[in-house]
Amino acid sequence: MSYIGIVVASVFVSNALLTYGLGTMPGGNLEDAGSFASALALAFVNTLASALLWLIHGFLLAPLGLDSLDILFFALIAVPLLKFVARTASISKSRILARTGNRAEELIVGSLVFGIALLSSRSGYSLSEAVVASAASGLGYWLVEFLLESLRERLELSDLPYPFRGAPAMLISTGLMALAFMGIDAAFIKGLVS
Amino acid sequence: MSDSQESFVPNPVLSGLVGICPLIAAANSLAEGVMYGLGTALCALAIGASVPLLKDRLPDRLRAPATLCLSAFFALCYAFALRLYSPTIAAGLWIYIPLLAVSSLSLLVLRRTSSKGRFGTDGRSRLVDIAVEALLFLLTATVVGGLRELIGLGTLSIPTQGPSPARFFFTEWAPLRILVSPAGGFIFLGFLVAVYRTIIRATRRRRT
Repeated sequence: MSYIGIVVASVFVSNALLTYGLGTMPGGNLEDAGSFASALALAFVNTLASALLWLIHGFLLAPLGLDSLDILFFALIAVPLLKFVARTASISKSRILARTGNRAEELIVGSLVFGIALLSSRSGYSLSEAVVASAASGLGYWLVEFLLESLRERLELSDLPYPFRGAPAMLISTGLMALAFMGIDAAFIKGLVS
Repeated sequence: MSDSQESFVPNPVLSGLVGICPLIAAANSLAEGVMYGLGTALCALAIGASVPLLKDRLPDRLRAPATLCLSAFFALCYAFALRLYSPTIAAGLWIYIPLLAVSSLSLLVLRRTSSKGRFGTDGRSRLVDIAVEALLFLLTATVVGGLRELIGLGTLSIPTQGPSPARFFFTEWAPLRILVSPAGGFIFLGFLVAVYRTIIRATRRRRT
């Protein structure tokens, strides 16, 4: 598949949140959701995590037939390294870099980063394809997070019955958005950009 | 906070929304719901039991990474056990089994923030506390997986040992097939949380 195909598929067809449910935080703090720092952090953390897991998987575990141990090695090697990079960025003098670092640090030990890294290392991509796919998955997540934040603002102003206020309304809205994304045909897009 | 509220144990999934990613995307059958819930419960219990052992042996800055590695190790052990028990369920849960490393940790973090000291503060009481949350998680995962499969497909699959789980057919009429997709998972969980809130509110009103 071409790189454009990978990007389109990762953002719309196999969206990390809507298709795999990764990083689901209904009613969570999404104040920073639509920001440029958030998009940067998502793309940066996921790209680095996926590249590291791909390298660990491809050069260390697969030759020894220990593929299943990827999560353990990811926690042992990649997470401390990612934490170090994010912390270094967060104490930087540049404001945007510091915000990106802070957001990246929040994301590292979460199902989103772990999930996207596992997905891209297990789907048979080459290193460059895995990097592109994970960056696009991060941006796809950011897009949905941004859309959900706009929805949340509108829902807060709506007069919903008590049981549906907050997380349930967000979950149902996310489900409806996932239904809309399901309408994007994977085979059609792959055929269009291959 | 009133006594009635203090004695109430909140459901980690329906009130804290912990570990819901696999419940949405992967737990679309009873067998998968049970096995995922069991994995999270066992991992949370194992970490809960072993973290106090690390406390005196490791410096503060190493405790969080060590806990994560330990959690990944328990998730790995469960993945191997599940693959031996039922390869089909293991394949169905796919990347969500390694993700137990993260979701079981979230369960522990939630326990620390929401239910501190409900059963006491000593080691044994803490374990009882974790066991209660883990059981509630297992119960919720079972209900979510079972109901989604029953309403969506009209079947129920039991997590039996062997190449594939035993499946019981109840009806061919399955108008809400969408429930077994991730989109249906979000919608179903949204309604389940709303029902849970209604029940809790009614119970609290009756008590007061």
